[in-house]
Amino acid sequence: MGPVPRTLELFYDVLSPYSWLGFEVLCRYKNIWNISLQLRPSFIAGIMKDSGNQPPALLPRKAQYLRNDVRLLGQYVQVPMHLPKDFFSVILEKGSLSAMRFLTAVSMEHPEMLEKVSRELWMRVWSRDEDITEPQSILAAAEKAGMSSEQARGLLEKISTPKVKNKLKETTEAACKYGAFGLPITVAHLDNQTHMLFGSDRMELLAHLLVVFRPG
Amino acid sequence: MGPVPRTLELFYDVLSPYSWLGFEVLCRYKNIWNISLQLRPSFIAGIMKDRNQPPALLPRKAQYLRNDVRLLGQYVQVPMHLPKDFFSVILEKGSLSAMRFLTAVSMEHPEMLEKVSRELWMRVWSRDEDITEPQSILAAAEKAGMSSEQARGLLEKISTPKVKNKLKETTEAACKYGAFGLPITVAHLDNQTHMLFGSDRMELLAHLLGEKWMGPVPPAINARL
Repeated sequence: MGPVPRTLELFYDVLSPYSWLGFEVLCRYKNIWNISLQLRPSFIAGIMKDSGNQPPALLPRKAQYLRNDVRLLGQYVQVPMHLPKDFFSVILEKGSLSAMRFLTAVSMEHPEMLEKVSRELWMRVWSRDEDITEPQSILAAAEKAGMSSEQARGLLEKISTPKVKNKLKETTEAACKYGAFGLPITVAHLDNQTHMLFGSDRMELLAHLLVVFRPG
Repeated sequence: MGPVPRTLELFYDVLSPYSWLGFEVLCRYKNIWNISLQLRPSFIAGIMKDRNQPPALLPRKAQYLRNDVRLLGQYVQVPMHLPKDFFSVILEKGSLSAMRFLTAVSMEHPEMLEKVSRELWMRVWSRDEDITEPQSILAAAEKAGMSSEQARGLLEKISTPKVKNKLKETTEAACKYGAFGLPITVAHLDNQTHMLFGSDRMELLAHLLGEKWMGPVPPAINARL
C-alpha cells in the first residue's frame, strides 16, 4: 500500500474565472498526483466583505488587465474561457449567491456530482455568456451535468433553507480562517504544515511542496 | 543568422520582492531564450498613486504576502528574507533614491544595471539593510563592482532634473502599458505587445514566445552559437 494521499481543499466560486482555471488544473492532476481533492463551494462576495478587499474589477487598470489575462490563460490552460459581454454587470451586479447555494446543496447531498455541476455553471457564465442567477439557469446546468430534472429541482428547493445557507456561510468562513482575501484558494495539508495558496498560478509551487514534503 | 531576438522590457522597483523574483528568472532565461532583456528601473509608489494601493495595506494580503514571498524565494532559489520591520520598509522608507540611482546607472553605465539592482535587492530583501541613505546606495554599487569614484559620481546626479525626469518617464511608460503594480514584463512579439503582471506569468510568457519553460531554475546551457 502506498503513502496516504494528501488532502487539497479547493475553495472556489463560479463567479471567479481564476477559480475555474485552478479547478480544471487540479481536476486533471487529481488522477496524477497522490492527492485527495476536496471541492469547497464558497462565496466570493462574502470573502471580499470579510477581508476588506475589493473585487479587482473595480479598479479600472486591473479590470483591463484581468480581461486579457483571463483570455490568454484560458488559451494556455485549454479552458474555453470567453468573457461575458457585460463583464461588470455579471461580476458586480448579478453575482453568484443562488449558484453557490445550489452547489453547496449538491456537495451535501450528491457530492459525486459536484465537479460536473460546478463545471456546467462555469461553462454558462464564463464560456457561453449565459445567466446563472435564475432558477431555470441553475436547473439547466445541473441537467447538463447529468442530474435528473427531479433531483435538480429537489436540490433547488433546498437552497433557501437554513441548513444550506449556513453550510455556505461556514465554508466561506473556513476560507477566511485560512487567510483568504479572494478566491480561489488551495489549502494543502502536508505532514506538519498547512499551506494556503491564492490564485490559479501557484500550481507549480504546489507541486514542489507536495514533492518536498512527501511522506518518508 | 538566426531569428531576431524578441525584446522583453522588465519594469521593476527594488522595493518589490516579486520584482526580484521576476528579475532573477528573466536573467537566467536571457541566455537561454532568444530574447533581448531590457531592464527598466521604475518607481512603484508612482504607479500605485491614484491607481491602486500596496497589498501590504490590507491585513490579510500582508500576511499572505509574507508567506508567499518566503516560499517562492525558496522555490525560485533567491535568498529572500523578510525585513524585521516589513511595513516600515515598504510603506515608510520607500525606494525613491535607490530607483533614481538605478536610473542614473541605466543612463551612464547600463552594463552595470543588472548587478547594482541585484545588490540593492540583496540589501533590503535579503540582509534587512537600508537602501535609502547615500552610504547604503554606494555600498551596493561598490559591491556590484563599481569604483567608489564612479558610484559617487552617479549618486551626485540623482537629484538632477535629467535623472528625475527619466525615472518619471519610465514609470509613465509602465503606466501606459497598463501597470497597476510591479513587476511588469512587456513582451514585444511580431504583431502584438503583451503586458504580463507579476513574477508568476513566466510559463505563459514562454508559451507566447514559443520557448520552453524549464521552471524558475533552468539548467545552465552553453551560450548559443
